[in-house]
Amino acid sequence: MSQLYYYARRTVVSILLIFAIATFLFFAFRFMPGDYATLLLQQGASPEQVAKVRQMWGLDQPLYVQYFKWLSNMAQGNAGMSRQFNEPVLEVVLPALRNSLIVALPGVLVAFVLGSLYGALMGSRPNSLLEKYGIIPPNIVGTTPDFFIGILLLTVFSAWLGWFPSGSIASVDTLTSTSGWGIYLTSDFWYHYTLPFLTVVIKYMYYPTLVMRGSVVEVRNQEFATYQRLLGLGKWRRFRHIMKHASLPVVTVLPAVTATSISGLVLIEIVFNWPGIGQLLLTSVFARDTPVIQFMFLLIAAWIVIGNFIVDIAYTIIDPRITIEGE
Amino acid sequence: MQINDSSGSTDSGLLGALRPGRLRDHYLFRNLRSSLRLYLSDRLTVVFLAGFVLVLLAAVFGPMIAPYPPDKVFITSSGEILKLAHPSGEHLLGTTARGQDVFSRLLIGARPTLFTGLLGGFLVVLIGVTIGVSAGYYGGRVDDVLMRLTDFVFGIPLIPTAIVLAAYFGVGTWSTILVIGCLLWRNNARVFRSQVLQIREREHVRAAQMLGASDRYVITRHILPNLGGMIVLFFALGTGLTIIISASLSFLGFADLSLPSWGLMLRNAYNSGYMASAWWWSLTSGFAISLTVLCIFMLGRGYERVHETNVSEF
Repeated sequence: MSQLYYYARRTVVSILLIFAIATFLFFAFRFMPGDYATLLLQQGASPEQVAKVRQMWGLDQPLYVQYFKWLSNMAQGNAGMSRQFNEPVLEVVLPALRNSLIVALPGVLVAFVLGSLYGALMGSRPNSLLEKYGIIPPNIVGTTPDFFIGILLLTVFSAWLGWFPSGSIASVDTLTSTSGWGIYLTSDFWYHYTLPFLTVVIKYMYYPTLVMRGSVVEVRNQEFATYQRLLGLGKWRRFRHIMKHASLPVVTVLPAVTATSISGLVLIEIVFNWPGIGQLLLTSVFARDTPVIQFMFLLIAAWIVIGNFIVDIAYTIIDPRITIEGE
Repeated sequence: MQINDSSGSTDSGLLGALRPGRLRDHYLFRNLRSSLRLYLSDRLTVVFLAGFVLVLLAAVFGPMIAPYPPDKVFITSSGEILKLAHPSGEHLLGTTARGQDVFSRLLIGARPTLFTGLLGGFLVVLIGVTIGVSAGYYGGRVDDVLMRLTDFVFGIPLIPTAIVLAAYFGVGTWSTILVIGCLLWRNNARVFRSQVLQIREREHVRAAQMLGASDRYVITRHILPNLGGMIVLFFALGTGLTIIISASLSFLGFADLSLPSWGLMLRNAYNSGYMASAWWWSLTSGFAISLTVLCIFMLGRGYERVHETNVSEF
């Protein structure tokens, strides 16, 4: 009962939080100095033209009218029109989001698997050189700005060795001959995909490695581990048991890390000239394309809130001993 | 730790320590000395400390010890600009596409980079401790409001927000630090809160409260000292993260372009199109950032380890 109450409360709080963030974003962007119309003005449009544009976008109406219009539009799945592309925001943002997710999600997943394995390996060899000094490489990676990892990979694998292209999502031929999802089926895409993907994997290995190492150190000293060693279980079998027990903290942080990865991807996309939401954000910011920026922020924020929600729920399922707040 | 200083008189705090004879025996200094000894007993920590001191020296004395003025354009004997010269005895790390000495620019870049980081780290910890300790110590409605605020700030994507704010409000060093500080505290506020929740149940805190100590006294004398290790750790993490994030922003061009930080250097190298051929230019500044942050992170971790040992000894 209380468990159910907790889930219900957490759901309501999350929805309210997303709503609050959406409202905050709406007003924050209205109070930002300089919108698309003023940019037109700077580009030499006459005041009458600007007034017309403002009227067309409904920017001349009182703020609360704009707010409720925007709310009702959002509720109907209409996020407005992009100013710079003159297309619905959804049609601008979704392809970019797709391009970002196809790098971020598999990248973070692979990073978590590899990172946990390495961390577990480090943690399960007490007093070895690996345990003492093995932690340095992940730390170096963890303290390197993600875009610099990208630059490093580009320098080595693209410029020096010439194995991979220097950026973009596919070559021009592929881009013109395919549309929509078709591009992901070409080998050219995957050829371009390798380096950005590797960058994400390397960048996000740091966290699971550290968490897993600490967790394994804790678990290997528990009684069941000693017991299994006394039983004479094979090394590999014992390692698997320990992995299973130690992986809980890593699994629970996965949603949160995935959530934040999407905003961390901005720099990597810029370095690799990858047409994801990071690039879209930058061009939209320069064009003062407020509806697009606002919607992207809402997406990212909702993503993060949902990620945190999943973590909270996962905690109570995996470890029911965790005391539920407010009790 | 407070128990050691059992003189009980009103001037037993830092003010009392200022009396010359008692300075050496004050518990803070005794702690500091033994901590330092413990701290430096780990060989790796010494390495990282040396690295950090090196960066610190470059930040303080960089402009004085740099072999050339950072903006000086070198000209070859035939009258051309010495573009992208390889590292040599004359130019330890070669020259940039504009014919400037990379090594000098690297030395000069330490100051703005480190300064931004330390200030950002300070801000992050200041806000994080204030919010975390208030939420944990007072509980109830204060806790609720502050933690929902933290949840809210968690929903704000850091780099995109910084980009938008910089684009709309213009860029400046101070505003960048402010934005980073006002968003990054969310990481530590929760940890500080949960720590305080445990500490405030301890007997010495309860005893002090029962004896009628004010909230301020309990917080400054009983809560904050017990958070010491964590404060230092999060200061280090905050400093490192601020350096990384402000470098990212510089790389995107959202930074004061007159301030020669390492992030900006990386941007110039990347945008020049000679990134791959002039590795001494593009890679050195990147590695400078990376290694500096590494040293700071590891020093923080090392301090936390010492602090924990210290506490468990009592």
